[in-house]
This record gives sequence, structure tokens and C-alpha cells, in this order.
Amino acid sequence: MTTIISANPSIRDIEQLLYQEASFLDKPDLDRWIELYTEDGTYWMPAREDQEDPEFELSHIYDDHVMMEIRRRNFVHPRAASKDYKIRCSHIISNIQMAELDASTGDCTITSNFHALVNYMGEQRMYGGSYTHRLTKDKDGYKIRHKRVDLINCEEPQKSMIIYL
Amino acid sequence: MKYSNEQLAQLIEPTRVHRKVYLDPDIFDMEMERIWGSAWIYIGHESQVKTPGEYATATMGNKVPVIMVRDKDSKIHVLHNRCGHKGAKLVDQASGKVSAFRCCYHGWTYRIDGKLVGVPNMPGYEGTGFDKSDPQYSMQKVAQYDSYRGFVFATLDPTAPKLTTWMGAGMAECLDNLCDRSPEGEVEVIGKPMRYVHDCNWKMFTENLNDGMHPMVVHQGVVDAALQYMKTVPEDSAERSEAEIIPPFGASYEHFESTDLFAYQYGHHYDGGRTSIHAAYSVPNDYEQLMIAAYGQKKTREILTFNSHNTMYYPSLTTKTAVQNIRVVRPISVNKTIIESWSFRLKGAPDNMLKRTILYSRLINSSFGMVGPDDLTAYYRMQNGLESNGSDWIEMHRHYGRDEDKGDYIHGLLTGDLDIRTQYKAWKDYMTREQLAQEVA
Ligand code: FES
Ligand SMILES: [Fe+2]
Repeated sequence: MTTIISANPSIRDIEQLLYQEASFLDKPDLDRWIELYTEDGTYWMPAREDQEDPEFELSHIYDDHVMMEIRRRNFVHPRAASKDYKIRCSHIISNIQMAELDASTGDCTITSNFHALVNYMGEQRMYGGSYTHRLTKDKDGYKIRHKRVDLINCEEPQKSMIIYL
Repeated sequence: MKYSNEQLAQLIEPTRVHRKVYLDPDIFDMEMERIWGSAWIYIGHESQVKTPGEYATATMGNKVPVIMVRDKDSKIHVLHNRCGHKGAKLVDQASGKVSAFRCCYHGWTYRIDGKLVGVPNMPGYEGTGFDKSDPQYSMQKVAQYDSYRGFVFATLDPTAPKLTTWMGAGMAECLDNLCDRSPEGEVEVIGKPMRYVHDCNWKMFTENLNDGMHPMVVHQGVVDAALQYMKTVPEDSAERSEAEIIPPFGASYEHFESTDLFAYQYGHHYDGGRTSIHAAYSVPNDYEQLMIAAYGQKKTREILTFNSHNTMYYPSLTTKTAVQNIRVVRPISVNKTIIESWSFRLKGAPDNMLKRTILYSRLINSSFGMVGPDDLTAYYRMQNGLESNGSDWIEMHRHYGRDEDKGDYIHGLLTGDLDIRTQYKAWKDYMTREQLAQEVA
């Protein structure tokens, strides 16, 4: 059952976490972004609508901690031609809803919509779709255990993109 | 302005090509007619259309829309996606299932094998000379189509040699290997393709496949990133072994220098054979046992030690046999190409094999990956740099004169330009064929 987030006491924390993630991706600053994720955190961008599995079917991205660590180092490497071009992004997140809440631990699943305006290689692009964040609570607050990015055009041909959305 | 055969021939020299082949829209149009209108083009895999009435669409060259469909006798046809009445495309989805093709415009209907069966309000045609049973009003079959080990190809040229002749035994062996890696000898498509927009001429992609001089330069960033990361985790950790999949993308010149390249007729070629950057990948024990049960020890070893790494069925299909991934070239315009990636499941193999196939494809074929975007940046810069009229020529000398002619094939090394010279030999043959040239004139 979907509960409107304003009914939940931790709304501010959760919104802030999503906004903070978006601001790290806007810059982009992957060194700080990765710290928002748990050690077993994953990032998934399916290549098909309603895709159920990240490992047995192609995805645009399915990164665990190892791949995130490699990606963040690659992102700033001076000898990666695709990174020669400055990239700037502007993320807008809206329609934030709590889809699931485990009242005993505070762990929850948050759904939202996003638009990301991205300027890369001399052109401005618009990405959009929905996010699903699985958040987990520890003593320092919430972290991201899993993020799923469903692009509305995930089945269409895509151009090179060097950053998480 | 179109080019004469003589002018076309002058664009290709033994060790260099003229930049116009990548830049001129007229040449692109002629390629679509003479190469893509004549070679066998990969359409799809039989497992995309498992039951009667299931279809999948494709485009041959940059324009010709076709439908691969399974008829009620389970036979696969490749039909033009054009209504026999006024030409509307009959289906406009990537895939689907129908009991008949029904045109969205005036409702003509066709059996799933393409035969026209229904024309509404027939009396209006009485006495007009229109004959519904005349085959010209049915959906037209593509000139020739055939499949090899489930891989369906078609050609628009009725005079083209048979598929197996065009492919040749050496290239057929590569598709055999891809399928034989299944204990049941069959593969099936998994999911939908990922499609990647390349802002470059289609040949820049096909010429990079076996370019053994670029990985250590282009992919240095991701390799360094992986190596740096590996230093931060313990020697025998799971993290480290996961990261180990990356460094081979930037293997040394020595490594690529010791990888063989086999060049065949019609522009086909592959690298690897019995050694390649992936030869060291071990296979899981449970899978190996299933293979041995199916094929016996000796044959299993033969299958698993053969690896045609990047395999080009010029101009449209490239395969990686050891990891069951294929990429399909779909040219759009002189400076735009779409590359489709498809992954296959080895029937009868454990799930961990499919997981490996998918992981590999995601790493190298995704437009959001850490490998592809660096290759694409290089193609994009070539496409733009070649607009300079500072020089008209692109060289392809490497190892020229050292390749060995073995009769059926030419043997070279992955660091040479044999693959590119082979493609341009075929390019020139297709582009300057007398018969086609006359049709165009
Ligand atoms: S165009 Fe198809 S029925 Fe008229
Ligand atoms: Fe590459």
C-alpha cells in the first residue's frame, strides 16, 4: 500500500537524502556520491520496461560497490576521451512517495519522478523517468542500499553517457 | 552526383583509403544499394519468433523495412513490410504476434506467410483487370533468405550466392562454436536488444572491431581505474576478482601482437582462434561437466578452446562466440549508425553462464558503460577530423606485405591492418560490380 510521505515522520530526512544525492550528481562529484551508498549498495538502470532482473537480462547500468569504485576513478581519469568534455547536470525530483516502510527498522522504499537536464559534448539532453530508492537506516541516518532508474525511453537507442542519473 | 566505377575504385588503394568513403552522402547511398543491397544482412534469430504468427521487424540497409515471421508450418520467412495495395507498412512494432497481417489503411489482409487473402468490398474491382490472386498484390518475399544455426539472414539480391557459400566454412565455424557451447547445441535470445547511437559512419565501427592498436590507448582510463581500485582491496578478495574483468581491455601491444587474425572472402574476418584476451577465462565446473556429458572430453576441449573473439560477417553482424553476445550494424546515414546488442542463453547450460554473458555485454556494449563511450569518442573525432581537407587519405599500412595467404583465408595479426584491408577489398568488389553498376546506370 502506498502511503503519502507527509504522513511519515522521517519525511525530511528522506527528502534531504534524495536531494543531496541529486546535488552530488549535478556537479558531478562521485567521490561524495558514493558515500551515500551502503557497502552492499547497487545502482540499476534497466534496458527494458518492467524488467525484473538485473543479472539475467541486459541493463544500461547495474553497478555494485566494485563497479562504482572503478567508475568514480575512471570519471576523473585524464586519459579517458569521453571524459574530455565537461558535463553539467540539473536534476529535479518530484512526486516523492513512500511505497514501503518497515516500522521496526525504519528501512523504506521511496519512489519518485525525475527530470535530468544534461549538457554533454556540446548538446543539451533531457532524461526523465522514475527512481526507486531502497533506503536503510543505521546509527548515522539513512543510506541508499539500492537505486533503480527507469528511463521512460529505456528501450530506445541511447547515446554515450558517462554519469549516473 | 554519383560516382563511376572507375572513380569508386580510385578511392581505395592497397594501403590507404580516401576520406570521402566516410563523409560523402552519395557514397553512403551507393553503399546502401551495392553493399547492403547485395550482401547477406543479419535479420534476427529464430528464437525471436518461437511460434506461428510471431514476427520481428528489421531494416535492411538504412531504408528497406522487412518482417521476419514464422508461418503456420513453422517455416520462417523474411517479407517486405509493405502492403500490396498502396504500400503502408503492415506492422510498425519491433516484434509481436498476429493471426494475420491486416493493413491499417484499407484493411487488406494477408496470411502470415504473406499471401493476400482479404480485400474489402471486392465488387468494386470487378471488370477492372485487378486480380487478387496475382502474387504482385501479396506481401513480397525478400529476394533470398536463409538461416544458419538459427541466425536468419536475407539478401535483396536474387543473384547473390547461397548463404553458406557467402559465409564460407571458416566463418560458419564461428557460428558453430557460438552454438556448440550449449550442451544442446542451441542458443536463444534473451530479452530485448540494447541500441547504441553512434555519431559516425558505420565503417568506423566495423573497422574498430579488430583494431588491436587502440585498446591500450582508448581504454587506459578504465584499466587504470580498475588497477588503482584493486590495490585498495585484499589480494584474494571477491572485490578484487570482480574487478579483474576490466584490465584485459587494455592488454599490452605484445598481447595483441600474439593474437591471430583470420581474413576471409567478402570482407569477413575474426581474431582469436585458439588464443585471445578471453582465452584465459575459465569455465565453471558444473558447465564443463554438462558439456562433457553432451560431447565427450575431446570435443568439449575443442569447443571451449576455440574462441573467435570479434567476428565480422561483413557488413552487418559481429559476434563474440565465447560470451554469446552479438552486435548488429544498422546504418542510418553517412554519419549516424545504430548498433544493436543482443545476448544469448546457451540452452542446457547453468544460469551462471548467462550471468557471465550479460555481465560482459553490459560492460562493453552499454552506452552508459565505461568502455563504449571512449571508443565512440574516437569515432566521433574521426568523423569530424576527416572534414579537414589538409589531407585526403587515411593509411592502413600496418603489417602490409607480411600477411600470409593460406588459400581459404589470409592469416595476419591483430595489431595489423589486415582486417581493414580485407573490408576495403570487399567494399571495392561490391561497389564496382559490373552488373549492379549497369542497373544503376
Ligand atoms: S494501403 Fe494497405 S490496404 Fe490500402
Ligand atoms: Fe575499444
